[in-house]
Amino acid sequence: MTSQPCPDLELLFTELEAGEGPALDHAAECEACSAVLEEHRLMEQDLYRLADPLPPPTLVASVMARVAAEPVPQRREVWSGVAILLTSLVGGLGYLLMNDQALGHLGTSIASVMVEGPQFVDGVLSGAHALWATAGLAVACFLTFLLLTSLYGLKRLAGGIPTPSEA
Amino acid sequence: MAEEAPPLPWKADVQAARRGDPSAFESLVRSVQRPVYGLALRLLQREAEAAEVAQEALLRAYQNLHRYDDSRPFDLWVLAITRNLCLDLLRRRTKVKTEELEPMKEVLPSGDASQEDCAIATQERQSLEEAMATLSAEDREVLALYYVQKRTTKEIAQVMGCAPGTIMARLFRAREKLRKKMTPTEEAPR
Repeated sequence: MTSQPCPDLELLFTELEAGEGPALDHAAECEACSAVLEEHRLMEQDLYRLADPLPPPTLVASVMARVAAEPVPQRREVWSGVAILLTSLVGGLGYLLMNDQALGHLGTSIASVMVEGPQFVDGVLSGAHALWATAGLAVACFLTFLLLTSLYGLKRLAGGIPTPSEA
Repeated sequence: MAEEAPPLPWKADVQAARRGDPSAFESLVRSVQRPVYGLALRLLQREAEAAEVAQEALLRAYQNLHRYDDSRPFDLWVLAITRNLCLDLLRRRTKVKTEELEPMKEVLPSGDASQEDCAIATQERQSLEEAMATLSAEDREVLALYYVQKRTTKEIAQVMGCAPGTIMARLFRAREKLRKKMTPTEEAPR
């Protein structure tokens, strides 16, 4: 029998789960705590032997009958996406039409693209031409790498998409 | 306790079910129907309601399959849906008296009778089931998930949406209540 006071049960069981601790050391020498642990062990033994009951034999059939009346989950996802996209578009357009300042900004931006766009494209093209003339091989390798990784990525993404017959 | 399941065994069936393959979803239903129905019955204690809720939970799983993160265990996801449906039903069930509940010994037969009968006397098992039936739904569910379904505290935490440490405390409290129910006269103050 140990001279230490018996530990709190919660502490004792926490240490029992952990497998070590002062409360567990105390229990090894204390008859009262050992009895509690033994009682606990027997109850756990009985509890572990309980099993879930078998479900009704008609459960799977009932679920599948209700599932048959439901739309395919992936189509549901597509429709959710389309609904979100349309709502965002309508919201954005509504904001533009209701707000003169936003509409003015949009008009200015479009006009700016129309005026400065060709100059920008010319600049990009002449830059690309100069790059090709000075480091053609490196650019070709880089573009090939970019193309292949993009195709690989697309192929991986397409792996989860159903074929038309499956959809 | 059971170790972690092999990684993502349900993934192929989930992906096929998302594309509308009914046999893949049927396979998923078959794999989870027993724990789903078992949890519903432990919580609701009525066979008809448990079957209804199990059916509804599996249907909701199908309806929300596009939202399911298939890197997480499918069975735990469906168990969480089942639990929420059961708790909703229990909240609505406010005027039911305890004595009106069906006795657990009739409601919860052994799933594997021959093995259990060898290991534990039927009378003892019935006493344990009856004692469990008198506990609160919260206590019943944590005991059922941990001991009957052999889930880890981490898995139970995923189903119940709380920290594994909380599950340990709940498990302790539920076990203590059950121990007191099983031995009401022998309980000595500590």
